[in-house]
Amino acid sequence: MVHLENLNPELRPIAVEIEAIAKGAGLDFYEVVFKGYEARDVNGLAAYGGFPVRYASWRFGMEYERLEKGYSWGLSKIYELVINNDPTYAYLVRSNSLLEQKLVIAHVFGHADFFKHNVWFSPTERRMVDVMEAHAARIRRYVEAVGQEEVERFLDLVLALDNLTDPFLPLREARAGAPKRESRNLSDRARAAFEAATAERIRRDPAPSAYSGPSRPPTFDVLGFLAEAADLAPWQRDVVRIVRAEAYYFMPQRMTKIMNEGWASFWHSRIMTRAVAGPDEIVDFADCHSGATMAQPGQLNPYKMGIELFRHAERSGADLFHLRAVHNDTSFIDAVIDEDFAHRHSLYVYGKNPRTGRVEVVDRDWRKVKEQLLTSLAWGGLPQIELVDADHEGKGELLLRHRHDGRDLQLDSAAKTLTQLHELWGRPTHLLTLEEGNGRLLRADADGVSVFETDESGRVAADDDEDASRRAS
Amino acid sequence: MYRIERDRSRFREIVRGRIRHDLRKYLSSTELLGRRGDRTVSIPVPQIELPRFRFGDNSKQGVGQGPGKEGQPVDGDAQDGEGAGGAGENPGKHILEVDVELEELAEMLGEELELPHIEPRGDRLLSADGGRYTSVRSTGPKSLRHFRRTYKNALRRTIASGDWDPAKPRVVPVREDERMRWRKENPRPESSAVIFHIMDVSGSMGREQKDIVRIKAFWIDTWLRSQYDNLEVVYIVHDAVAKVVDQETFFHLRESGGTKISSAYELCLEQIQQRFRPEDWNIYPFHYSDGDNWSARDTERCVGVLRDEILPRVNQFCYGQVKSAYGSGQFKKDLDSSLDDCERLVTANVDDREGIAEAIRTFLGKGR
Repeated sequence: MVHLENLNPELRPIAVEIEAIAKGAGLDFYEVVFKGYEARDVNGLAAYGGFPVRYASWRFGMEYERLEKGYSWGLSKIYELVINNDPTYAYLVRSNSLLEQKLVIAHVFGHADFFKHNVWFSPTERRMVDVMEAHAARIRRYVEAVGQEEVERFLDLVLALDNLTDPFLPLREARAGAPKRESRNLSDRARAAFEAATAERIRRDPAPSAYSGPSRPPTFDVLGFLAEAADLAPWQRDVVRIVRAEAYYFMPQRMTKIMNEGWASFWHSRIMTRAVAGPDEIVDFADCHSGATMAQPGQLNPYKMGIELFRHAERSGADLFHLRAVHNDTSFIDAVIDEDFAHRHSLYVYGKNPRTGRVEVVDRDWRKVKEQLLTSLAWGGLPQIELVDADHEGKGELLLRHRHDGRDLQLDSAAKTLTQLHELWGRPTHLLTLEEGNGRLLRADADGVSVFETDESGRVAADDDEDASRRAS
Repeated sequence: MYRIERDRSRFREIVRGRIRHDLRKYLSSTELLGRRGDRTVSIPVPQIELPRFRFGDNSKQGVGQGPGKEGQPVDGDAQDGEGAGGAGENPGKHILEVDVELEELAEMLGEELELPHIEPRGDRLLSADGGRYTSVRSTGPKSLRHFRRTYKNALRRTIASGDWDPAKPRVVPVREDERMRWRKENPRPESSAVIFHIMDVSGSMGREQKDIVRIKAFWIDTWLRSQYDNLEVVYIVHDAVAKVVDQETFFHLRESGGTKISSAYELCLEQIQQRFRPEDWNIYPFHYSDGDNWSARDTERCVGVLRDEILPRVNQFCYGQVKSAYGSGQFKKDLDSSLDDCERLVTANVDDREGIAEAIRTFLGKGR
């Protein structure tokens, strides 16, 4: 049974009808609650990641400012927001036209089904609306106890680190205990291959660190490690846990953006054209639909990419419901994109020509296209940064390693982030990475950040620190 | 959604703090020029972004869609190619611009440089600010008829004349009963000011010198705008002859030639006499030059015009001497020595961009 709040009562029978059609087609979802909001309120919700209650942070205010500007200049408009929760919440902008509302409602059922059935969402918290509220309440208590400034400062510190997570961890943990099976998932296989390829170039300190709880090094779950092993006040530890929990909640959405939007668009399109849109609405529908799934030159629209992938898979006789259940963007693209697809959609790899400074078509070979897509989407599109040692050189210092995949880090931002980590950990922090193919070791300590050149094994090249180092900040 | 508003105001507070902190930097850079609207200045704040481990510049490869052969530029080339369906973590892509009220920026400037507020003169000018409809009178357009008052009068008259019939309570207003809304003017003093920006554009004033003038003019305008309700700006450029130009020209003109400062002072005086009566206007001429006048005789003439004509009419006359490779800097010395008894004349040296803040303080620190 669908619930509608604060929406035109005319929409109720329509929503009921669309729900019946969606269920008839095989979609399955938790109860969906549709709530109507004014556009600016939807912008506010979007700034909060879709939740009506979040802890206080200027970062949400900044996001809101950005959305509001985009909206008032007519550059961007949010039609709907769907929250992965049980019940599933969908926020609709009240000023949408009737046809837009129909389309959006059909779209929402697609998302709702995806949230419920995609395996990457299976370990996510389904009562997140309540959990977010509880997080906000806890942080509010800390503000009362230690003051706004103090909490804000620490929160900013942790938020700078909130992408130091392991996207595969929740699923691994959920499956631990279950009998070990051969990893059928391509992402796991890809990752294993990747790990084998990047042979250990790091000198490991043989002495194990004092900490031996979960997420001990080597780990990508740096936040999880910090939450347990860092020397923090209890409220600080809780803040790290809160940020980590929220980061893991949002991670699957990052990993399945193309699939998720593709699935929802696939279904809104099918439901609208086959059942809901009347002959008088079909042109408006096409207009609205193409606006959302338009392919812009030089850019990839996840809606467009996703819907075409599902259509392509359907043509080749694949079981769509199975695909939407087991894949994330990387494995889905790996499974579906073939020469025909790349050709049909005129995909190409672009890059900056260093000579002219122009962005040019670099390659149209479908294998290159696929490879490029997989690289950029792997690991949720984030740099892969691993904590390899928590007792570096026996001094209790942290050593992180960036697993370089051809893309350099922005070094000055990395240096600042490393400083934040130093402040949180209380001891110097190190990061190994590459800059244009040359090894670099960044070290953050009380004096700031120094950058050293390293050899292939990650060792600092010259013995004389004075010569080898240059101050980065 | 009051929560998000609270977060937004916290964000704005942080931005303001950042701008206040960086004010000295803005005082010596051209960054804010051209960013001024009617009431606000839009300031880019890239530095507010949280640091993160994120991909850098050499990752600009991506997958796109559309026609084009290998080696051909992608349409809309300049786009920061956000490849592969926006999967990248890239919030820094759009640098956020924050609108700050001019008033507020001026306040920051005032605090930073400890500027005194100006006591305006000539508050004789009254502004009719439209007023409010707070009274009635018996004449006026029908569209402004005050129904209740009109009805009351009609009722009173009907009862007084004995025509009132409670069984048939009909009231017909006649012309004398009608009352029209009327607005009461709220006269309030209005202070007006005019700024003359006079710039030497002779060959010796290079690009850097002009930039310094631009930055200074920006901040002086900002401050005086916050002090007066009504501010006009007149731009005058001169080499051997002077002319009035628009803002665009003032800042971009490249001229060369000799320097006859008197021509500019005479033009300024002419403008004052024709357009800005000193009784009604607070007048602020600012003259920027590298101090290289054509001849001692012309300098004498300048001193004469200043002493006898301009200085008595203005709040303050400011002369800012911008150091240049060619300028002798003689003009400031001449002014200082021949007019040292005139307190309305303020002169300052600006050696480089760092000296701008100090020069502004000298000019505006008198509170005149």
